[in-house]
Amino acid sequence: MVEYGTTINLDDFGLEVGTPAIKSVGPLAFGPEGILFIGDNAGAAIFAIDAGDTEAGSGAPTVTIDNFDTSLASYLGCSREDVSIRDMAVHPTSGNVYFSVMRGSGDAAVPVLIRVSGGGAIGDVPLDNVAFSQTVIKDAADEDDPRLVAREKLRTVTVTDMSYVDGLLIVAGTSNEEFSSTLRRIPFPFNGGSESNSLEIFHVSHGQYESAAPIRAFVPYQGNSSILASYTCTPVVKFSLSDLEPGKQAKGTTVAELGSHNRPLDLVSYEHNGGEYLLVCNDRHPLFKIDCRDIDGQGSLTVPDHSLDDSPHDPVTPGVGVPRQILPHPGVKRMANLNGSGVLMLQQDEDGHTHLRSYSTDTL
Amino acid sequence: MTQTRRLYLEWMEQGGRVCLRVRGWAESELRELGSLSAADLRWRLAILPSTVLEEAGNFREVPPVAGQFSVDFESVCFVPRFPFIDGTVYSFLVDAGGGPDSPEVWTLQRPLFPSAPAMEVVAIYPSAAEVPVNLLKVYIHFSGPMSEGWADHAVKVCREDTGEALEGAFLPPDPELWDPARRRLTMLLDPGRIKRGLVPNLEAGYPLIEGTQVRVQIGPEYRDARGQPLKTGGKRTYRIGPALRSRIDPGRWRLTAPGVGSRRPLLVEFDRPLDHALLRHSLRVCGPEGTPLHGRGEVGAAESSWTFTPASPWKDGEYRLVVNSKLEDLAGNTAVRVFDRDVTVAGEAPSESGPIVVAFSCLPSTAF
Repeated sequence: MVEYGTTINLDDFGLEVGTPAIKSVGPLAFGPEGILFIGDNAGAAIFAIDAGDTEAGSGAPTVTIDNFDTSLASYLGCSREDVSIRDMAVHPTSGNVYFSVMRGSGDAAVPVLIRVSGGGAIGDVPLDNVAFSQTVIKDAADEDDPRLVAREKLRTVTVTDMSYVDGLLIVAGTSNEEFSSTLRRIPFPFNGGSESNSLEIFHVSHGQYESAAPIRAFVPYQGNSSILASYTCTPVVKFSLSDLEPGKQAKGTTVAELGSHNRPLDLVSYEHNGGEYLLVCNDRHPLFKIDCRDIDGQGSLTVPDHSLDDSPHDPVTPGVGVPRQILPHPGVKRMANLNGSGVLMLQQDEDGHTHLRSYSTDTL
Repeated sequence: MTQTRRLYLEWMEQGGRVCLRVRGWAESELRELGSLSAADLRWRLAILPSTVLEEAGNFREVPPVAGQFSVDFESVCFVPRFPFIDGTVYSFLVDAGGGPDSPEVWTLQRPLFPSAPAMEVVAIYPSAAEVPVNLLKVYIHFSGPMSEGWADHAVKVCREDTGEALEGAFLPPDPELWDPARRRLTMLLDPGRIKRGLVPNLEAGYPLIEGTQVRVQIGPEYRDARGQPLKTGGKRTYRIGPALRSRIDPGRWRLTAPGVGSRRPLLVEFDRPLDHALLRHSLRVCGPEGTPLHGRGEVGAAESSWTFTPASPWKDGEYRLVVNSKLEDLAGNTAVRVFDRDVTVAGEAPSESGPIVVAFSCLPSTAF
């Protein structure tokens, strides 16, 4: 267990010390002053927690732990099968890495916030007696009919990704009922959700078919002016953040497709030698890299793109759509920017073991 | 190393938490352990899940189980940071100076209290005999709360004629989509293979095969929230019909209104089967005054109809059936949008969003 003091003014962010009723831990994102947002899908809430991480950064953070899942299982006192790593995020100043982990399953499941220091030491952040605030993930469809309140509640919104941008927590979620795409924009400090708003997002494929789908993962880039989002139905779609205004329907530009039987898992952006790049990891196709300058130059896809399926092992696949460079990092499940110096990857090998590895931007 | 003594491990409760107590120490050893700092004690003693110890080989390669040791006059006690897990075998290691490769190792298993399988599949939706080849969702209802992590292995779509599983038909459920009570699971057919024009659709085709019979099956190995398998698995068979790509048309719904003064239900027969989950809260009836009526709505057979029984008798005047624009059919089409609309086809253009209203009146009372 790691103990921390706090250096932030709790009132500035509407935080109060107490024990948040966190039922599960899912997506993570850091906000201002090292405040950590935790998506709680079982509890239909998002918590903002002062992680109390006041350590000064020790230069460029690098963390590498082989068989990370085994180490976590040991620390948590369970088998590897009882460890489910849901997300990871890097603290913006200390460089410590935070993981949301569910330990055990069913009635015995325990939500845990793991913290790994630059030296590789594993600890957990206590989720009691912390400064926190929370907001409920609203479900508009149930709210429109007050007579339904007493009914058994079946609808949920499952948060799949979050990012904090200039006072707004942007949240991608999937409904367990309607199949649509909604991005929620939640002002932080939380204000009870009264100003929360959401917008529907469509994407046009090949200039012909327009549809909606839940966003699986997204990443702000270009100084937070744009968002690159990957959908459950495989397109990679670009939005300008200025398009994402409350009450509007936003239409994104499809800049790439990820191929059949393949799902996007995570995206990360990083800068190197004055350029900005995006990495997209997939469950079937290899990790690939996009130069952000190519996205604007690309325009929208007007014909289907088979390039990645036709030649998945080519080092460079110009194909149709934005040019992509295949990177030799197998089994990448999650990624995080190591505060500019590199990219942290959670990689699963063929035997199912999970490793934590850091890569300098020079090597990507 | 060869163990020349016997330590006794036992579970005990301390302050409402299960801890591990180790007895059988020499008096001098206990005194020495008792004099160590917490950090030094954790260097000498460690607890690891036995499966982790086997994988790691050297116990110094992994962090020990988080928790605290304490030493009293007859035993060493370990209180874990996270509760011990039933059925798991734990290893207690003592570094008696023989080096990291040869600690003393003692093991103890947490008792497991097996209980009989109690849960089962109580419903699978859609319940229609035929579904379109671009079917988007399947809902599986269990009789009690379930564990996560089984949907990917235990739920399958198989051809009825050959028994062959249709691989990749379901979108891998990550994250799994459950209701808050973990009793209803939503499975999505791969939308990339359903949407026209996308590479998965062009290359792999629809997840289902038109003209065949398929069954959705839930294996009995599915674990409930206590870790028990199901009493029996579940299945539902479907005939796969043609694709459905048009907006739901409430104008074609047939409304059978009861007589004024009665409390008999309003019957609404749809133009096609609709999504079971969304039907539960997407329809409401507003009275002549414009306010929603209290009453009970029920989804009919094959999700092809809906009845509403009012709490108060029907009156004279115009009623309105209000349809939420989020209501979907089995292929994800709504009353305002085709699921994957072709922007070059005028007939597929979206209509105004917002609720759709169907007006109806009750029949004059025949009592006069």
